[in-house]
Amino acid sequence: MYIIARNIFRFVVLILFQVLVMDNVMINGYMIPYIYILFILLMPFETPRWIQLISGFLLGLVMDLFSGTLGMHTAATVLAAFVRPYLLDLLASRDGYEPETFPRIHYYGFLWFLKYAALIVVIHHLALFYLEVFQLKHFFSTLLRVILSSILSTSTIVLSQYFVFRK
Amino acid sequence: MRTLLRFIQKYSNLLLFLILEIIAISLIAQNSSYQRSRLIRLNRQITGFMYNRVDGAREYFSLREANEQLIKENTELRNRLDLVSSRLDSSTVTSELKGEHRYYYVQSRIVRNSSNKQYNYLTLDKGKKDGVFRDMGVVSDQGLVGIILESSANYSTVIPVINRDFRLSAKIKSNNYAGILQWNGLSPRHAMLSEIPFHVALNEGDTILTSGFSSIFPEGIEVGTIESFHLERGNFYDIRVELFTNFQRLYHVNVIRNFRREEQLDLENQSR
Repeated sequence: MYIIARNIFRFVVLILFQVLVMDNVMINGYMIPYIYILFILLMPFETPRWIQLISGFLLGLVMDLFSGTLGMHTAATVLAAFVRPYLLDLLASRDGYEPETFPRIHYYGFLWFLKYAALIVVIHHLALFYLEVFQLKHFFSTLLRVILSSILSTSTIVLSQYFVFRK
Repeated sequence: MRTLLRFIQKYSNLLLFLILEIIAISLIAQNSSYQRSRLIRLNRQITGFMYNRVDGAREYFSLREANEQLIKENTELRNRLDLVSSRLDSSTVTSELKGEHRYYYVQSRIVRNSSNKQYNYLTLDKGKKDGVFRDMGVVSDQGLVGIILESSANYSTVIPVINRDFRLSAKIKSNNYAGILQWNGLSPRHAMLSEIPFHVALNEGDTILTSGFSSIFPEGIEVGTIESFHLERGNFYDIRVELFTNFQRLYHVNVIRNFRREEQLDLENQSR
């Protein structure tokens, strides 16, 4: 029960933070930090997959309502929620993940979390930015935006692990 | 039947993923500019109040810059006033100066700004109560900003030049050829001017102005300067325009009310 309440609280806080603060961060028009997908990153390991998918869907839908881009964030977050279990398997150490731990720096170290966050962020940003442009005409300039924004998002997410979401 | 059920059970997560993605993609696919505007309107009603609060803080940090901008504008207006009054003295009063004025500017503050998306919108803190309605032009002291998309009692949304749905007729100052100004979604400092025929002589640095071919903007509002140009498929130029307005640092704008707009639209509809 406690964990569910905590996740719902995190959902609300992250969306408000994204819409009110992060969406106002503008660096040369190419970079935009999307840190709300931290919600997907921090879901407990044993969350049933259908719950992961549905929460990814809801997360994207709320973001879409706030930014007036119906469907774009949704498609990207559902994809991120879908690939997350596979990535976790890929990044697991030989012993796997221990019960009563969470996917955080605190339990699995900086390098593990950096890899995990970066992969999900890149997948999410690729989907989001190309769906937003919806054409292949500006392929490379979009790719540049994906790369720059991913760097910014990943570093913000990793930093947040030291200051806000420590445990 | 049983094999089908087993199949569904085995791939239930994949199926759920596909269903959710199909919903999302179909939402994107049917998301026309009309629907976007409806969504933005709904969004504004929910968040307008909230953004106003947050923006109070944001504005505090930009006071210095806003001050400098205002001083600059003040000086310029004073100079213009001086020029006009000197002309008035010399008794060459034009008919336009004598008649009722045609345009009126409503001063407004931006409470929400975005410049890093493909479909950017601004939210202003003036709405129907202050006489701000759909399809009015928006300018800043730097130049063209955009067009009012929707307005509620106290707020309005602007579709700025840097939105892929934006289109406006604009002309080249030196030779008066008009083309269509739109944005290609790349840089928030640049827009594209198209449909200028190949025989027109262009120079880098030429000024682009609004053409006044619509009832939205008066003629001659500054848009930007030509940065580069090349021929697109032989007949028309693709001109890259460096915009005067810096959307990333924009706090105060003016909404233009055109008092003769109704009259002009009525006439145009009648003769259609």
